[in-house]
Amino acid sequence: MSEFLQHLINMLVLGGTYALLGIGLTLIFGIMNVVNFTHGVLYTFGAYIMFIVVHQLGVNFFLALPLAVLAGWLLGATIELTLLRPLRGSDIDTTMLVMIGAWIAMQSGTLWIWGGVAKSVTTPFPEAPLVLGPVSVSWLRLFVLAAAGMLIVVTYLLINRTKLGCAMRATFQDQDTASLMGVNVDLIYTSTFAIGSSLAAAAGALLGPVYVIFPQMGDLAAVKAFAIVILGGLGNITGAVIGGFLLALAEELGAGYVSSGYRDAMGFLIIIAVLIFKPTGLFARSERVG
Amino acid sequence: MTLTFRSVSAIALAIAFLGGAAEAQTIKIGVNEPLTGAFAASGTYVVNGAKIAADEINAKGGILGKKIELVIEDNKSNPTEAAAVAEKLITSDKVPVLMGAWGSSLTLAVMPKLMEYETPMVVETSSSGKITTTGNPYIFRISPPSAIEAAAFKGIVDKLELKKVDFLVINNDWGRGTAEDFSKMMKEKGIAVGAVETMDQGAQDMSAQLSKLKGTDSETIIVTTAVDQLTLIFKQAAALGLKKRIITTGGSQNPDQIIAQAGAAANGTMHLTTFLPWFPDKTPNPEATNYFIAEWKKRGFDFAGCTESFRGYDGIRTVAAAIEKAGKAEPAAIKAALWDIKIKGLNGDIVFRKSGPVGKESGQSQPNVYLIEITDGKIGMKTL
Amino acid sequence: MKLGAAILTIIALASVPLWLRDPYLMNALITTGIFIIGAMSLNLLLGFTGQLSLGHIAFFGIGAYVSALTSLGFDIGLPGGFRIVHDPWPPIAGFLLAIIVAGLCGYLVGLLSFRVRGAYFVIVTISFAEVVRLVALNWIELTQGPLALTNIPSITIGLPELGSLTLRTKLQNYYLVLAVAVAAYVLISRLVHSHFGRAMRGLMENETLAVSVGIDVTKTLTLAAVISAGIAGAAGSLYAHYIRIIDPEVFAFINTVTMVIMVITGGKGSLFGPVIGGMIFGLLPVFLRPIMAPEAQWIAYGGVLIVILFVLPRGIVPSLAQRFAKRWNRSPAAGPVTFSERDAKEPA
Repeated sequence: MSEFLQHLINMLVLGGTYALLGIGLTLIFGIMNVVNFTHGVLYTFGAYIMFIVVHQLGVNFFLALPLAVLAGWLLGATIELTLLRPLRGSDIDTTMLVMIGAWIAMQSGTLWIWGGVAKSVTTPFPEAPLVLGPVSVSWLRLFVLAAAGMLIVVTYLLINRTKLGCAMRATFQDQDTASLMGVNVDLIYTSTFAIGSSLAAAAGALLGPVYVIFPQMGDLAAVKAFAIVILGGLGNITGAVIGGFLLALAEELGAGYVSSGYRDAMGFLIIIAVLIFKPTGLFARSERVG
Repeated sequence: MTLTFRSVSAIALAIAFLGGAAEAQTIKIGVNEPLTGAFAASGTYVVNGAKIAADEINAKGGILGKKIELVIEDNKSNPTEAAAVAEKLITSDKVPVLMGAWGSSLTLAVMPKLMEYETPMVVETSSSGKITTTGNPYIFRISPPSAIEAAAFKGIVDKLELKKVDFLVINNDWGRGTAEDFSKMMKEKGIAVGAVETMDQGAQDMSAQLSKLKGTDSETIIVTTAVDQLTLIFKQAAALGLKKRIITTGGSQNPDQIIAQAGAAANGTMHLTTFLPWFPDKTPNPEATNYFIAEWKKRGFDFAGCTESFRGYDGIRTVAAAIEKAGKAEPAAIKAALWDIKIKGLNGDIVFRKSGPVGKESGQSQPNVYLIEITDGKIGMKTL
Repeated sequence: MKLGAAILTIIALASVPLWLRDPYLMNALITTGIFIIGAMSLNLLLGFTGQLSLGHIAFFGIGAYVSALTSLGFDIGLPGGFRIVHDPWPPIAGFLLAIIVAGLCGYLVGLLSFRVRGAYFVIVTISFAEVVRLVALNWIELTQGPLALTNIPSITIGLPELGSLTLRTKLQNYYLVLAVAVAAYVLISRLVHSHFGRAMRGLMENETLAVSVGIDVTKTLTLAAVISAGIAGAAGSLYAHYIRIIDPEVFAFINTVTMVIMVITGGKGSLFGPVIGGMIFGLLPVFLRPIMAPEAQWIAYGGVLIVILFVLPRGIVPSLAQRFAKRWNRSPAAGPVTFSERDAKEPA
């Protein structure tokens, strides 16, 4: 029983971070119809910014977080302006391949600049975990969960309560009509990509200190993010959050009670099952297939 | 476009020309390591260790009156590329001997090429048993396969009073091989073997596996993986309140990093290792170890890398000794000479013994294995 | 491409070993050729039905494993106490079985995944490849997992009356790969120009319309998937018997990405596109290797990819074909008909 409780606690902590990874990607995927292979690189980028700011510039851990988010925003906007805007109107394969090119080049750039040796970031949190009866959890991960929750709420409010969010949702539903109604679609695209990228960087900045930081860290994160987005449905923030927790639950129980070798297969098996039985994703609006 | 192509081929020609001109004065050694991709960090460490050896040898006048030249190629952590790189080193660069290729699947992919071109290779890191048992007479390995580690560990399991152990291993040839060989040895000793959990190479979150191991009735966990995952495991085990004894194997540990990052949780952990950079004076070759560590630090590399890079250092010294003994830089002569060398490596004498099917045996050296323990944040040696 | 040009190309490719003596470059050509076969099979799906599969390496890897296991033999236990013991068969049987098994997998995956389109299809195919990789990694009794299958025999071709020939040298393997590539090219070309090929392109251009004129969508797509997977399995088999060791890394995502790059830069929907794209991206690393640092090689690789897509967004072959359209006498091989409509709007 205590093992099961521990798995549930792990699931909560892991699910929060998965949700954070998923929402950035689902925005870009859903609104821009871009299979964004740079998501993982931006995650890695956020983590390295954290390392530089905390260890090489000596800035406080909590101040470094918003700096990493800002850096992710700027890099995302740059990618959109230089690589995606000129290809607006190209088919999904071409933009995807350009993103693959950017992914390969940027990941190798990371390796070139910082080398392959993993870095770690020291945090102000105590090493001793918080123990609650039979289960325990580290303070750092509780902080990450809280920060992820806050970022998710902020994004949700941004999309649902602001003028920019309204324009983004309009573009998502029908780009041409939105354009006719006076929405600056170019601006929406750049903002969307920048926001999605800053969320990826935020996830990296939060998780980098929990794990270790190395150039390929984003690959696995990106694959999980894709899984979460599909589970939740394209462009659906609530869906991505639920998808994140669902994936974490499947992995925890899969590793705990089935076989740890198949831990990462759980997420993919769920995806295949979901798409066979409910091809629109668990929580999607039905018209998004196609 | 034409211009680029022309300049590209001009550069390529120039390089080929320079290479050709240099051939007469140097003895080339091919180095086939992963410098990009998943194993970039480890491959780079090994190459840096190899460079220290080459510079040391050249500073003393080289071998056979010539300087040695390392021809270093990146195998991109990809078996197909590892085979292609071997092909390039042997046929274009005309190296008479190779060192490589870090990972077992990379080394296994190179092996048919060694047969094809009858060129020997010193294997510095790979641990898969298959490398020396499938009958490839061009393979000379200085790293211990897990069976040798298990055999060395056998002598001390009684002192540790093990009753039941679980395994947590990286899901590759190294981890799987360790779990298999150590389980066999434990069962011979009457020690029960419980769960065998795996983690993907590159996985960052092992909480699920550790939560499961927390709930079993074993008192000890044997962990096999590289230093980064070990650090994560110690951190995550501490966060989960996992209080079992942990013994790590494989020799890629870095207890300093574990102490720094896992703090009190590192106390009581034991580590089976093949190199002792913390106690240079207790190694089989203190002089060389001190020189190597001093040079490593002088070049500004991370101390954590020592446990990987010494293999590159030993590998190149092994190759150089064989070339010296052979008296000429030719593949067949070097292959024959590798059987006759005896040098003091950083982790014991490097002497190749026959391994594998009769008539086409591979060479396997038996390095020393040590057990160290962390107590009160300090590293201490346990006697074997 | 016209017959004459095709024959000239084959003669040119067949003459390569006569003047290229460098074993390293021959090796690069052989592995590139194997991936080009994979890319051609991917092109059948991506270019002619419009379905982007990012899990294509699964069929390649399945072919490699089936072929290797057929020629090495295995002994596995199944639930319920059954055992399957298989003695080694000749590699050529492995090659044929690889095509059949990969084709069957293509059928199953096709049945399941063609229920979804677009991004969802992309993710379903990635998921499939990952699941297959994890099975290869963890079903140790069969695949030896990360311990890798080694000592895979070279392909032996039995010639009646003349005995058998084991293909060990680069020269022999080069011609083997070339022969399989030509066969795959002819098969795909025949298919694309058949009634079935018109159904596929009709689907890609307008699925609703295609359905209304009586094209059976699932049947058409599934058949394309079966043939595509079968050819990829053949490529995987060639890979296994040439490299002679395989481990689960053969399913690495970067291998799928390599094939997708070959198809799209060369020109999807163009029969010859994957060959050109494959030559460029298969041999680019060989040219980059001596002139820059390892990390820089990858940066350049990504950079070249982006530049090609910016300059020739529809791929090299269709873009060039359009420029030479007058001389080249537009033929279906140069690009699907859809391009002609877009061409009309853009000044060349």
